[in-house]
Amino acid sequence: MTEDQNNNMPRRKFLKLGVGSIGAVFGLTYVSLLGDFLMPPEANAQTLQEVGKVADFKVGEPKFVSYKGSGVEEGLYVINQGSEGWLALDFHCTHLQCAVNWVPATQQFICPCHGGVYDIKGNVLDGPPPKPLPRRVIKVEDNSVQVGGITA
Amino acid sequence: MMKWLDERLHVSKLMDSLFDHPVPKNSNLLDYLGFATLFVFINQALTGILLATVYKPSAAEAYASIKAIQGSVTGEYVRSLHSWGANFMVVLIVLHLLRVFYEGSYKKPRELTWVMGGVLLIGTIGLAFTGYLLPWDQVGYWATTVGTAMAAYVPGIGNFLLRVMRDGVQVSGATLTRFYSMHMLVLPVIILLAFLPHIFFVLRQGMAVTDKLTQAKERGEDVESKSIPFWPNVALWMILVVLVIAIALWALAGLYPVGLGDPADALNKNKFIPEPAWYFFGIYQMLKYFPGNLDALAMIGLPLIAMIVLFGLPWFDHNPNKSPRKRPVALSVAGILVVGMVFLTYQGMSSVPKAIATTGVVDHPSYAKNIDPIFQSKCVTCHGKSGNYSVQNYDSTIKNVVPGNPAGSKLMTRIDGTQKPQMPMGLEPLSNDQIQTIKNWIQDGAKNN
Repeated sequence: MTEDQNNNMPRRKFLKLGVGSIGAVFGLTYVSLLGDFLMPPEANAQTLQEVGKVADFKVGEPKFVSYKGSGVEEGLYVINQGSEGWLALDFHCTHLQCAVNWVPATQQFICPCHGGVYDIKGNVLDGPPPKPLPRRVIKVEDNSVQVGGITA
Repeated sequence: MMKWLDERLHVSKLMDSLFDHPVPKNSNLLDYLGFATLFVFINQALTGILLATVYKPSAAEAYASIKAIQGSVTGEYVRSLHSWGANFMVVLIVLHLLRVFYEGSYKKPRELTWVMGGVLLIGTIGLAFTGYLLPWDQVGYWATTVGTAMAAYVPGIGNFLLRVMRDGVQVSGATLTRFYSMHMLVLPVIILLAFLPHIFFVLRQGMAVTDKLTQAKERGEDVESKSIPFWPNVALWMILVVLVIAIALWALAGLYPVGLGDPADALNKNKFIPEPAWYFFGIYQMLKYFPGNLDALAMIGLPLIAMIVLFGLPWFDHNPNKSPRKRPVALSVAGILVVGMVFLTYQGMSSVPKAIATTGVVDHPSYAKNIDPIFQSKCVTCHGKSGNYSVQNYDSTIKNVVPGNPAGSKLMTRIDGTQKPQMPMGLEPLSNDQIQTIKNWIQDGAKNN
């Protein structure tokens, strides 16, 4: 009888531990599924796609081009810099991602939200943006201008 | 019926422990704000379920399905109730929080009730934020783009966090699905899980106003003459307060139906300028006062501090007194914060470009009545605090004006385009009427009238 009572507590502890660990297994099983679902797709894994022909882009004049993205149309500025090569710039301001507009009169990209200003290469000239406009992959093959994901 | 339940479940014992707190005769209507919040939440749940039966959560169909809802009178009213309800919910939950703070009711023994309330507040803000995107219009799309962009300022993991929120690099159809599941399932479940203990604690401990009488009762004093029973006397007052709020909600939703803007355009071809929901305007305005390199502090640091203060308040505040008169420091700090936030919200709301009534050309315009509103709505986003030239007020505006000589005023030549680039830069020019009105004002001597 006394021996039974002595053994009682460890036995209880064991049972509690059992309930707890099986409960934890339930929890972990479902939580581990969560991670995979929340994980966003690889950034900038876009394959190259054509957005125009070389002749469509005048030297020194950024042109806004668009293509079909996931559920929305996506777009970017393509700039033919002549001898300096080609440049593709994302159009979301690096401050808070409002859409910037190219203003030919001043040769600047201007953000209407908080007055961010960039030059034709996307470098910050004024306002709150912390970094230049993100650059996208751009490749000119034969006559075809192709763009991909963000490079930096 | 009651007897039947009692025999099996001992219901009356349970009920007594929950409802038998003696309430002082002159209790304050403000103590029922929590109950009013619950009512609005139920309104949100019911109208939300109705909307969910017709809404199509995909980038291709969401806008059209909302448009279809707007097509019927009931549909439009239900959506209006849901949208107005969201505003009511935010306001009521904040007022409820302020009232509880003022009364010192977050102190022992109600710390956990307060903490659960904090979870409810964050859940509510989350619901408001995720719900904004669902109509898939320009307002929602760009507010979400900017709102999620703030997450990128978290040191180290910012960009990853941003991609998790959007399920991709930019706001797309995948983001809509993600926000939809948050709005419909995750956040409501979180709110429910926090609300159940929240209300249980309140019922179990009684409202804070009942404390004194409960203690007296425990000492064996007769509190009968000083108190009224919760059921049904106080309950009647509660439901009356709720009725007033409900009528206000129903009326506003009917009188000012919520519209639907242009469909979301990820390329922003029409140069839409994003603005946040009004309850985020305080933060929006505050950001303007922070220099660029301190943006991260404003967007991540301050909210983090606010969160720590919110959840830690019952433990940070060592003053055992509950009476407002004995807590001058806590109340002053809170007072300054509230006044500051109200001020920032007001300032932020009045600083965004908005449609101003076309009054035609005003021959002899007044600065305050005709000129300033044009600047405030079209120019100060850039020419406010930042930019080299500000049209925020008369004194700074006049720097580029030659009174009596519109053609010689830089302000004018930039606006009418005789000097490039024409302002507003990169956007539609001002209307001819507005340009002529400003010309007339300068011609008249550009007075501060």
